[in-house]
Amino acid sequence: MDRRTFIKAGVALPAAGAFTGLPGMALAESAGSTSWRVFEVTTRVDVANPTGVTRVWLPAPLSADTAYQKALGNDWSAESGSVRLLRDQKYAAGIVAAEFPKSAGKPALTLVSRFATRDRAVDLSRRGSGAAEDPAVLRLSLEPTELIPTDGIVRETAQGIVKDQKTDVGKARAIYEWIVENTFRDPKVRGCGWGDIKAMLESRNLGGKCGDLNALFVGLARSAGIPARDVYGVRVAASRLGYRSLGANSEVISKEQHCRAEFYAEGYGWVPVDPADVRKVVLEEPPGHLALTSQKVEAARKRLFGSWEMNWLAFNYAHDVQLPGAQGPKIPYFMYPNGETAQGRLDPLDPVAFKYSMTTRELKSV
Amino acid sequence: MAPEPGFAGATLRTWSRGPAPGLFLSDLRGRDFRLEDYRGTVVLVHFWATWCEPCREEMPSLEKLKRRFTGRPLLVVAVNVDEPEARIRKFLAQFPLSFPILLDPGRQATKAWNVRLMPTTFVIGADGRIRYAASGGLDWSAPEVVERIADLFGKG
Repeated sequence: MDRRTFIKAGVALPAAGAFTGLPGMALAESAGSTSWRVFEVTTRVDVANPTGVTRVWLPAPLSADTAYQKALGNDWSAESGSVRLLRDQKYAAGIVAAEFPKSAGKPALTLVSRFATRDRAVDLSRRGSGAAEDPAVLRLSLEPTELIPTDGIVRETAQGIVKDQKTDVGKARAIYEWIVENTFRDPKVRGCGWGDIKAMLESRNLGGKCGDLNALFVGLARSAGIPARDVYGVRVAASRLGYRSLGANSEVISKEQHCRAEFYAEGYGWVPVDPADVRKVVLEEPPGHLALTSQKVEAARKRLFGSWEMNWLAFNYAHDVQLPGAQGPKIPYFMYPNGETAQGRLDPLDPVAFKYSMTTRELKSV
Repeated sequence: MAPEPGFAGATLRTWSRGPAPGLFLSDLRGRDFRLEDYRGTVVLVHFWATWCEPCREEMPSLEKLKRRFTGRPLLVVAVNVDEPEARIRKFLAQFPLSFPILLDPGRQATKAWNVRLMPTTFVIGADGRIRYAASGGLDWSAPEVVERIADLFGKG
């Protein structure tokens, strides 16, 4: 067994096998700060039928600390393999990359990530309190990607939505409300897109999951000149706000991946949003198929423009990711475990066959 | 050169937008497929994914069409759009298909053929030109569809 521990710069590592507190945690300034919660997520990968060299890639928590999430270290072990923590050059996404030789009978990788989160809210009634962002990051957050073009029908749609708005917050709000109003899941739809927002708009198939609907927000916002980005992650705890559909309701989170979105407005900084979760409340909050006018949906709709409950771990903002050492093509986003053998890519959406499991536990609150 | 946007019902539309792009992909067994090698054959190039419910609903009628023209120069190829092989194999174990499955990881062919939603099928005549296209699920065993395909044999 090859065991390594990676220490995040600036944060002392707790004693091995124990986690006693939150050393060096400074309070952040953003409005709506609450107490920090500390979590540990364990991902275990066992490649059942390896052929040739086996590679596995796991997303690590956000590499840079934010006002709502701080990394407390990653710990991994790989039986018969080697592991490295790498950073994607464009988006600084943390990638735990493992490689197992042909001779490795049963490639297995375990990653334990510890992090702290606290609920995030931006006071949109008061301009001037938000932190400025690096212009290079803002430029990146305006660029199109493979599945998020910003021209053609995307641009035309955005311009139609924001035409009466004068401020960036107003424009982002208009886009958010348009997505909440116009997107849906319809099992009778005759054709399927694959998260390409241009295809969604052209086909008028505006149903989808978070990767589609929040990508639609990001694409429309970018097309309207507002820096925006998807934030890919995983739910790690139940919601404390009374929404069963917006939390992980057991310790097993193998299928709890969820992406959110944020946009940047001068004077406010990055503003969190999640129109996809509003649609999730509509569809899945018990008893299901709620009306947009229901109290629960209206409350979620109001809250999810400007705030995130942080029962969720953010991994990265990356798009079109070339997994290091991969033989196969780029992946549109890096939110799931990925793997590859000589027979090709493993299915990241099938944890049972891959196979992998992700579990969560809360360590301490302050 | 694109099928009309939207899916206002699945119909087999006459194609008038230009020549077929090239198609050079590998199948699940690692063998190469090159569309240009099939001049003289009517080829249905069908874009699909395992998670696409209308695609799954349409597959049986494609099989029926293929059986209907047994002995005639007709080939159906199914281009899977950007899915891992493990997922495709698992799907085929449950829903076996008798035609070649071509792999398009990275969606290069999907983009070259300007496929915007699935299923989308192009009917290539024996002369290598696109004759018809359909976006959204189509009943390939419907009499009017069978008649149009039958008319293509021996042309070009």
